[in-house]
Amino acid sequence: MDPDQQSATCNLRHHISRRSLLKGMVVTAGGMAVANWGALFHSQTIAAEAKRTGKRCIMLYMEGGVSQIDTFDMKPGRPTAGEFRPMPTNVPGIQVCEFLPNIARHADKLGIIRSMRTKTPDHGPGGYYMHTGYHPSERFPHPEAGAMIAKYCENPESELPSFVKIGSGSGIYGAGYLGPQYDPFVLGDDGKLPGFASPSVPPEIQERRGELLSFMEQQFAEQRPGRPFASHRTAELRTIRLMRARQAFDVSGEWEKAKDRYGDSQFGRGCFTALKLVEAGVSFVEVGHRGHDTHMNNFPISKALYSTMDPAWGSLLDDLTERGLLDDTLVVWTSEFGRTPAINVRAGRDHFGRAWTVVLAGGGIKGGQYYGSTDRDGFEVAENPVSEADYLATIYKAMGVDHRAKHYLGTRPIWATEEGSRPIKELLG
Amino acid sequence: MNETFANAKVIHTLPWNSDMVFAVAFIGNDKVAAANRRGDILVWNLPATGDKSPDPVRRLAGHTRAINCLLLSPDGKTLISAGNDLTVKFWDAALTTGEPGQVVLNDGFVRKDQGGTMGLKKVSGPPPPVTANVVVQKPLRELTGHKDWIWGLALSPDGKTLVTGDDSSEVIVWDTQTGAQRHRWKVKLWVRALDISPDGKTVVTAENFPQLKFKETDAGVRGWDVQTGELKFDVSEQLKLGMAAVRFSGDGKHLAICQGNIDREGEAGKVFLLDPKTGKTLRELKPPHFRGATDLVFHPDGQHLFTSGRDRLVKIWRLSDGQLVRDLGEQSKGQSEPLYAISITPDGKLLAAADGTGQILIYSLT
Repeated sequence: MDPDQQSATCNLRHHISRRSLLKGMVVTAGGMAVANWGALFHSQTIAAEAKRTGKRCIMLYMEGGVSQIDTFDMKPGRPTAGEFRPMPTNVPGIQVCEFLPNIARHADKLGIIRSMRTKTPDHGPGGYYMHTGYHPSERFPHPEAGAMIAKYCENPESELPSFVKIGSGSGIYGAGYLGPQYDPFVLGDDGKLPGFASPSVPPEIQERRGELLSFMEQQFAEQRPGRPFASHRTAELRTIRLMRARQAFDVSGEWEKAKDRYGDSQFGRGCFTALKLVEAGVSFVEVGHRGHDTHMNNFPISKALYSTMDPAWGSLLDDLTERGLLDDTLVVWTSEFGRTPAINVRAGRDHFGRAWTVVLAGGGIKGGQYYGSTDRDGFEVAENPVSEADYLATIYKAMGVDHRAKHYLGTRPIWATEEGSRPIKELLG
Repeated sequence: MNETFANAKVIHTLPWNSDMVFAVAFIGNDKVAAANRRGDILVWNLPATGDKSPDPVRRLAGHTRAINCLLLSPDGKTLISAGNDLTVKFWDAALTTGEPGQVVLNDGFVRKDQGGTMGLKKVSGPPPPVTANVVVQKPLRELTGHKDWIWGLALSPDGKTLVTGDDSSEVIVWDTQTGAQRHRWKVKLWVRALDISPDGKTVVTAENFPQLKFKETDAGVRGWDVQTGELKFDVSEQLKLGMAAVRFSGDGKHLAICQGNIDREGEAGKVFLLDPKTGKTLRELKPPHFRGATDLVFHPDGQHLFTSGRDRLVKIWRLSDGQLVRDLGEQSKGQSEPLYAISITPDGKLLAAADGTGQILIYSLT
């Protein structure tokens, strides 16, 4: 973390335990702390709040822009309807695509926001916007939602990373001004650990090496308080801790039993890994589902996509419910934008941000309801438009994070979500 | 027949821009049927060359969703269709009577490419309606054994055996006369296309799992014993491409297959001639279509193969040496309106090509 970046809600001189020292905290003579991959700058108040709420979030990110009309905002009988038909759910009045039968079973848990109106229909900016709530052109290092939630909801005693991305296809937007300790730890698309996570020496030796390194680098750090060193040190410490905790990422044994339900796909395994990680205490896990950019052949491709998405998402909700975790685990189904209501000559749908859908479940969300609506062909929001910032404010509120939390970059104040953003109170329990 | 097809040209453009036309089949030498994404089938009587493009005269009503396949029985009496409503329907190909009705040829949304970004070009309200009086006809019967979208439909030359395949990887062999299922089995992936050999012994399936990012495991080409459903050959490892269409020649000497289950950048419409017995690749026909081939048909002269593509071309290939004879149409390498399906009259004089804007182009090949 840059020394000039700090949270207004966090005290730099908060408690320093032996454990946190072992975990890599380095405190300079002047009281400056450098990264410890999640535990630093974390006030006792926030830590206590995180323990109290125990909130976790799993974001299912549909990479490429997901079609709202083919999933949750169907327009049967209209020229924009496409080739999919709606099916009933366990909530009267709520219908979903016929190829989402496992999600239909969970409609009572879903808060379906059909009135997303977002500002950019391009992948890069759209992804940035939907992850941070801010436009990328501001040239300001905004943290993505996973970093913000990691900061405020992590368990400081945990050996595990607080922000994990399974697959990098949705983009790595980073922790921005929150500092490198909140950057995502990125797994493969199938949820498997990268190769460097396998240690070459026994854990106890690895740990002693880490302690020695911390001691030796302390003097160096005092003289060089910049971000490059902090980032370097953070990466080292993250690796050391990961080696200790890597067994949490190994779901291979249980996966053999679960894959029939989740679907034997990368996304299925990713969702199951996400379940295990939040169960182990990870604050935020994002699972990417590739291939929604269906400018052509939208219907067969989407049907194939839903055949892997639906059982994985449905089983994730099943297992979170059965394990009593759903009330404290927010599950977000989202994308960078939606897709056009009109079907082009290549039987595809193009990028569309004016009226599309995201879905929230668990984490205290009042399920079994739509929020907002679109016109009869789906071209415009008919009621209750929701911006990127409103969407993130709703997520933060559900997670117990102040969506207007103020931070500083130097002397410049900056807020978790922009001025005017409003959580959707109708969805919040 | 002129071997160079040098005089081939469009003689009729049949407008039907309600929706994309996915399948087309001639009925005899002077009628053409086409089927679209909404589940409609229209039939046109084709006048002699030079006359005004005709309006449709018949509407075959019964499908409720997109029609993916359309073929005429060898005796010319029955039209058979199948698609996303999970049914196979049989229609009287010669019937001229029915309930009077009207079709609007330009209802709904004008379909044009939206450039891939904004999607804000909501098409304005429908233009003034262009209508045609038709007779509306019902199917003779239907087969309902499938539980998923049907993409594969083929009939043996004697007309007695019908084979169908669907997205649940199910292949069904039917007795055409009784509608009874003789046999059914699972293949490995979703059936994108299939055909039955003229001797009635082998079914070849072009299988896929349609994804934007192609993986070799997402495609397969396999031959199956019609009687037992046992695998006879598997050339997926050799071809490693998502195929759009597969077809035996009428004499059984050739088996052709073309790449293009999904629209992809570049020269993604390769065409191959395979050994009909083993599936082994005998020859790749070059140059390929851009962005994918969509359909193929053998000319009745037994000497030529025709393929259609997303580049809006119809390519004519000489079977003896695999050389390209000529292209019909203007090539587009960009994101243009694809040709989705082609058909040739039994006398080999006309070709019909159905496109993404809803037009059916009638070419004279002589």
